[in-house]
Amino acid sequence: MTVIRPAGDFLDLPYWKHLASGRLHLNRCDDCGAVRHPPGPICPKCRSFRNSWVPASGVATLNSFTEVRHPVHPLLAPKVPYIVTLVDLEEGVRIVSGIPAGHAVDLRVGMPLRCTVVKIDQHLALPYFLPAEQDQP
Amino acid sequence: MKTSIVGIGQTEFSTNSGRSELQLALEAIVAAIADAGLEINDIDGLVRYTWDSTTEAAIVNALGLPSLKYYGETEFGGVNCCGAVAQASAAIEAGLASCVVFYRSLNARSGVRFGRGERVLYEQDGNLISRQLEPPGDIYSAPFGLLVPGQHHALYMRSYMGKYGLTDEEVTEMLGAVAVAQRAYANRNPRALLRDRTLDMEQYRAGRMIYTPLRIFDLCLETDGAMALVILSRERARAFKSTSIDILAAGQYIHPGSAPMLLYAPITYSLAPSEVGEELLGNAGLSTSDIEVAMIYDATSVMVPLALEDFGFVERGEALSFLRSGGHCPGGRLPVNTHGGLLSEGYFHGLNTIAEAVRQLRGESANQIECETAFVTLRGASSMVLGRT
Repeated sequence: MTVIRPAGDFLDLPYWKHLASGRLHLNRCDDCGAVRHPPGPICPKCRSFRNSWVPASGVATLNSFTEVRHPVHPLLAPKVPYIVTLVDLEEGVRIVSGIPAGHAVDLRVGMPLRCTVVKIDQHLALPYFLPAEQDQP
Repeated sequence: MKTSIVGIGQTEFSTNSGRSELQLALEAIVAAIADAGLEINDIDGLVRYTWDSTTEAAIVNALGLPSLKYYGETEFGGVNCCGAVAQASAAIEAGLASCVVFYRSLNARSGVRFGRGERVLYEQDGNLISRQLEPPGDIYSAPFGLLVPGQHHALYMRSYMGKYGLTDEEVTEMLGAVAVAQRAYANRNPRALLRDRTLDMEQYRAGRMIYTPLRIFDLCLETDGAMALVILSRERARAFKSTSIDILAAGQYIHPGSAPMLLYAPITYSLAPSEVGEELLGNAGLSTSDIEVAMIYDATSVMVPLALEDFGFVERGEALSFLRSGGHCPGGRLPVNTHGGLLSEGYFHGLNTIAEAVRQLRGESANQIECETAFVTLRGASSMVLGRT
């Protein structure tokens, strides 16, 4: 099955290396402690360049979702339908995520979610989020 | 602003123009200058989109423009076309140029398609690879299959449904009201790609679901073509042309997480805070009740209810009742997208949205409204108030 991947050189960056090790980490300012996503060179709150990586709690709520039924690339035809989600993490940042294939879920905006990192291969793992009461894969 | 739009020009809209984007751009510019009653050699400024392939140099060389004194470039899909007009106006007011043409030219169906994943991904060993740093299709969203703008709009709509407690049926009624009304406008507009295809609510409901809750009729039309606008100082426009349309106010606005696609902004059920519209209308010396017709960037139907609320034409959460009661239709409180919009005239990235406002004020619309002031917003990222004097 086709995988949509960041180009290989990106997977050497901390965000992706932490995921490949099994846990979602977030980029945090060393000076004011604000967490940001996507990661970036400067803190958008206090404008400090000093930053490091902290593990995310994995606790989140569902901001929005859509079921994609139309494949926008020929290689994605076998993957539809699939669900894309917008997820608000308790650390105060939002990330784009989805529901792993094969999970029947009843989604509603505002519902609690928990992170589950799905390993694709040695270099790539993705942070999915499932309803908090659902069994983890 | 102390400037006016004195010429609009375009090619036909099609799904396969059969000619280069340079050729299309030149046809639109020549038509716009003729419409303005000016000479090609009067052009001393150009504004273009970085996302388009036809450069200022290509235009200068092809037309043999004797001296180009100002050229400006701008960004972000269709949502900054009012910003491009503001840029042209600023250049004129600063004395950098006197006659500025803003043009766009895109074979957006027969060439690079904005609604396809191929624009942001490449194939490698049976996988699809992203190198994009910003959405759509960036490295953080592409792996989950979030690749094209329409999918983002579906997320905005679901967020809105959660905020205001709308049911699937209510969303169907709200978005269907937009799609059906705009198709009826397009059926009377000879320029519209879908002028010959009617749409009623029953057909809308039966439409294929593309990205829930959006059906095929909620998405705009991939379109080939070119358009151009000619902008002069208001003083010079008045001196020689009776049908010049004044730019009463124009502005741009983005905030963190809102561009190129709104994904990371704090609020996802609204695209611009209320102060954007208040400042714009304040700059024009008007209020929402003075606006007689509105052109709203409708890359999807979702943008219409969101913009009506963002700009204070209806209270927040009240778009459903406005649209269900036909407030945007002929004879309604505020007719919207009277050309058929990007959904039914063609997706010309917001430039046709502006052109319809100009046509309304000139009295040349296929669906003419009695009006002296028109409002244009392109997702709140750039907006404009136009007036006839």
